[in-house]
Amino acid sequence: MNATALAVLVYPLLSFLLLGLVWPLRQNGRLAGWISTLAAVASFLGSLRLLWKVLEGEGVGSATIPWLVADGKVIAELGIHVDGISASMLVVVTLVAACVQAYSLGYLADEPKADLGRYFTWHSLFIVAMGGLVLAPNLLQLFLAWELVGLCSYLLIGFYWRKPSAGRAAVKAFWVTKFADMGLLLGLIVLYATTGSFEWSTPVPAAWAVVVPALLFVGVMGKSAQVPLHIWLPDAMEGPTPVSALLHAATMVAAGVFLIVRAYPLFEAAPPLLLAMTWIGAVTALVAAVTAVVQDDIKKVLAYSTCSQLGFMIAALGSGQLMGGYFHLTTHAFFKALLFLGAGAAIHATHSNSIHQMGGLWRSTRFSAVLFIVGAAALAGIPGLAGFFSKDLILEELLHAGQYGPLAMLLLSAGLTAFYMTRVVAIAFFGPASEGAAHAHESPPSMLLPMTVLMVPAVLAGLAGPLFAGLWNQPYHFALTPVGGLATLAALSGIGLGVLRYGTRSWASPLPEGPRRFILSAPIDSFWLAAWQRGLQPVARGIGWVDRYVVDGLMNAVGWLFLLAGEKVRALQTGRAQDYVLGVLMGVLAVVAYGLVGAA
Amino acid sequence: MIPGLEALALPLLLVALAVAVLAADLVVPWRAIEPSGGERRGLGALVAAGLLGALAATWWLPADVVAVGGAYIQDGFSLYMQRIVLAAGVLATLGSIDHVDTRFPGRQGEYYLMLLSSLVGMTVLAGARELILLVVAFELMGIPLYVLAAMQKRQAAGVEGALKLYLTGAASSVVMLYGLSFIFGITGTTSLTIIAQGLQAGAFQDPLLVLGLLLTLAGMGFKVGAVPFHMWVPDTYQGAPTPFVAFLSVAPKAAGFAAMIRLFVEGMGGMRDAWWPPVLVIGLATMLVGNVFAINQDNVKRLLAWSGIAHIGLLLIGFGLATVESLGILLFYLAAYVFTNMGAFLVAEVVGRDGDDSLVAWRGLARRHPGLGLAMLLFLLSLGGIPFAAGFWAKILLFWSFWQAGMGFIVLLGAVLAVLALFYYLRVGRSMFIDRSEAPAPKVGLPMSIAIGLCLAGVLGMGVYPRPFIELAMAAAAGLLGG
Repeated sequence: MNATALAVLVYPLLSFLLLGLVWPLRQNGRLAGWISTLAAVASFLGSLRLLWKVLEGEGVGSATIPWLVADGKVIAELGIHVDGISASMLVVVTLVAACVQAYSLGYLADEPKADLGRYFTWHSLFIVAMGGLVLAPNLLQLFLAWELVGLCSYLLIGFYWRKPSAGRAAVKAFWVTKFADMGLLLGLIVLYATTGSFEWSTPVPAAWAVVVPALLFVGVMGKSAQVPLHIWLPDAMEGPTPVSALLHAATMVAAGVFLIVRAYPLFEAAPPLLLAMTWIGAVTALVAAVTAVVQDDIKKVLAYSTCSQLGFMIAALGSGQLMGGYFHLTTHAFFKALLFLGAGAAIHATHSNSIHQMGGLWRSTRFSAVLFIVGAAALAGIPGLAGFFSKDLILEELLHAGQYGPLAMLLLSAGLTAFYMTRVVAIAFFGPASEGAAHAHESPPSMLLPMTVLMVPAVLAGLAGPLFAGLWNQPYHFALTPVGGLATLAALSGIGLGVLRYGTRSWASPLPEGPRRFILSAPIDSFWLAAWQRGLQPVARGIGWVDRYVVDGLMNAVGWLFLLAGEKVRALQTGRAQDYVLGVLMGVLAVVAYGLVGAA
Repeated sequence: MIPGLEALALPLLLVALAVAVLAADLVVPWRAIEPSGGERRGLGALVAAGLLGALAATWWLPADVVAVGGAYIQDGFSLYMQRIVLAAGVLATLGSIDHVDTRFPGRQGEYYLMLLSSLVGMTVLAGARELILLVVAFELMGIPLYVLAAMQKRQAAGVEGALKLYLTGAASSVVMLYGLSFIFGITGTTSLTIIAQGLQAGAFQDPLLVLGLLLTLAGMGFKVGAVPFHMWVPDTYQGAPTPFVAFLSVAPKAAGFAAMIRLFVEGMGGMRDAWWPPVLVIGLATMLVGNVFAINQDNVKRLLAWSGIAHIGLLLIGFGLATVESLGILLFYLAAYVFTNMGAFLVAEVVGRDGDDSLVAWRGLARRHPGLGLAMLLFLLSLGGIPFAAGFWAKILLFWSFWQAGMGFIVLLGAVLAVLALFYYLRVGRSMFIDRSEAPAPKVGLPMSIAIGLCLAGVLGMGVYPRPFIELAMAAAAGLLGG
């Protein structure tokens, strides 16, 4: 077994067990935070070492142990699968996790100690789960870890459990992703039924070749927030901002993209599905980008932006270009985490989520403002920064695949992305001075340091393109082609429009009132609500009736019968020793009688 | 060196331990009448350590060696069974230390001596391949149990339970001996090996042999508590010292199954057609009766007694199938059952220390002592066969072997009864977790904590990673059937 890879999991696991089992340690929130953060840092160093080894060609391969045994064979294995993809993803996960945890020490310093202890316990568990997902050697382990990160997400969204809205958001996230996971689970079952294994490399019989990946993709749509299953992600912003940065921007939501990358042999065999993925991704990118434009809550803007960027990745994967999607996943993880942490700093300073309450923050919190703006520029696709390269790669790949419709939608989304980020920056940092910003203080170093660390890859990760291409064994050439030019043009015009619109009149609505209201009314949420109320509930009631009166009735009848029998037969147990011996003799007689009859 | 001595090393080790206990009890002035604050627990610790040593020794002892002209064999199967009874012995001793010290101080030597004597009988029984040795071992195992059941000699319930155990036991022994005399009469030998060879060669075609076989089966049914030889079980469990009941509920059962497997499968497997139908009927009846009677029990010890009978029913059918798989699963089931059932009884000992074994005493246990409540919940879930506790794998594998044998109806019946069983198990859970009580938290002494902790570790370990345990059990069964 690859000890380096295992070590990456072991540090956070130890931290989780320690915090989970040693109650006083957990109650002392700060100490718990330090333990968890140190474990995350150790894990990061371990994954760096692992990536280094993999780049040198060492330690690549799987190591598994048999887990479930049935029918005389091993039906499931657990283990680790190390290659360039998992090693690089691990670096991303652990780096962001370590930064986020360190940041949380400052950001959540005023929370009750016990809550803080729980928070870091779940964070440690999350790293273990996410690491298990990334290193999964087969789809079954990936699924297990997938559910585990979902659990962490649920627990962490509900961190402010005294707030009813946080509880509701946690439940909503849980239900929506669980709904999608039914697809994933069904896909796994069909996969096992048709191939007899949980490997992604075993080809599925032609009859099921589309069904299996399509079912898996339903799970991906839930986890990676694709329209129309994205509705949980904006609500998930009820969780603490560092959680949004780690789970709901950088790593967990990317698990869906990661699954497709891993199980690509299965997806590859289903061209119609790939086409659908491209379109779903493009639609998600555009719809979410439009929605982000009208949001006033800084975290909601970023949440929709995450949906939108995930749409970019899915579209890239659908067009058959793994590397572009995966590269964007990586760069996005860095700059979006940076943006969230920057937003957290602004929220920390002004005690409000609304960008209008942040107006003029540039004057009071200049350092974190710069960091946020760098992240925004990377997201918008300013040439030279991380987002530019990876987005450009996706667009190039779509062009090669001949997907002009999605390409146009993504170009438009890219422009909108630049526009809404400009809007946020213009209003929150340069807009008219607000009440909140007047009293704002710069964040403590414990928050600024992790942000600064994250800024480095947010700026430079784009240059790692050749490295990624090396991991995929693909040639990488970067050239400013017409598509790249168009994308840059879209970004610059988005920024220009934003500056024109908000440079002077910060309060202007980005869209006419009618469409703005329509988008803010969350039509897709309403659709699901109606589907739930009018479609699913009657069915559920019907099933509930059958369950209550037919199934339960049957069970109750059986139970009642046994209860009655239990009551009646009590008399047989008289408690008199004579009767007991009599019982023995009767039994003997019965057996002997049987013997005589049988022998005769 | 006497030939065969290495085969008898384990029983001899236990005898030596018993002698050491006897000597220590005579020499050291432990015999004060008043309960001690703990300084007189040394004897129990000595026994526990000795048994643990014996348990560890089973991994060093040679397999496939015989003694006394083949009457006793030490093979993989007997070693496996001996590990089970020794593990039960260790747990029971740890669980007994505080009980013995407070309830019958001054008679500890007696208690442990009896426990060890019974264990000697069990270990010999696991390797007995000769009818007379079988009977002797059976009685060596059984008679100390009568004494132990009556340890609380001033309590009517204890004496009553012990007397019932003794009377039914005596009647059963007579029946068994009668049956064995037929077997000896027809075959002319007491060696199971020779009988097996004879049956294979087609000899002994006599209906009286069938009669003898069935009488023996009836007699052995008592030892494992099968219906209709089960009636002593709840009364004895209720009256006897609880840590001892924990032992009684698993170790003699395991040893009984060992003897039955030796006699009926190894020795008289050639006559399975004759003994399998009654075993099936007895097994089904035992399952049904155990579950039905368990429903209305408000006394937790009685409830566990009836639930134990229900488990024995399942095991009897697994035994009757007599394939390598079903026997291997039976052996695994027994191991899981040791940890699960003993754990439950040991918690019952702690909770019912003031003499109240009814559900009332369990109210609010989860709040009063969360650790104990959680442990008991886990034991109950394991008894009920919920994943991922040891009992889950035991039950599902046993059902699987029934299914393989084409007995779907038993699987169905078992599934219905499993739901029913959850009902009465979770009644205890409800009492612990939902009902409230002002009673103080029960105190758990160190040896008892260790015992319950070991049970927990066993239940969880076998539940989460059952593979090595299953393989061990399968290997023992395969070795026996020459598979």
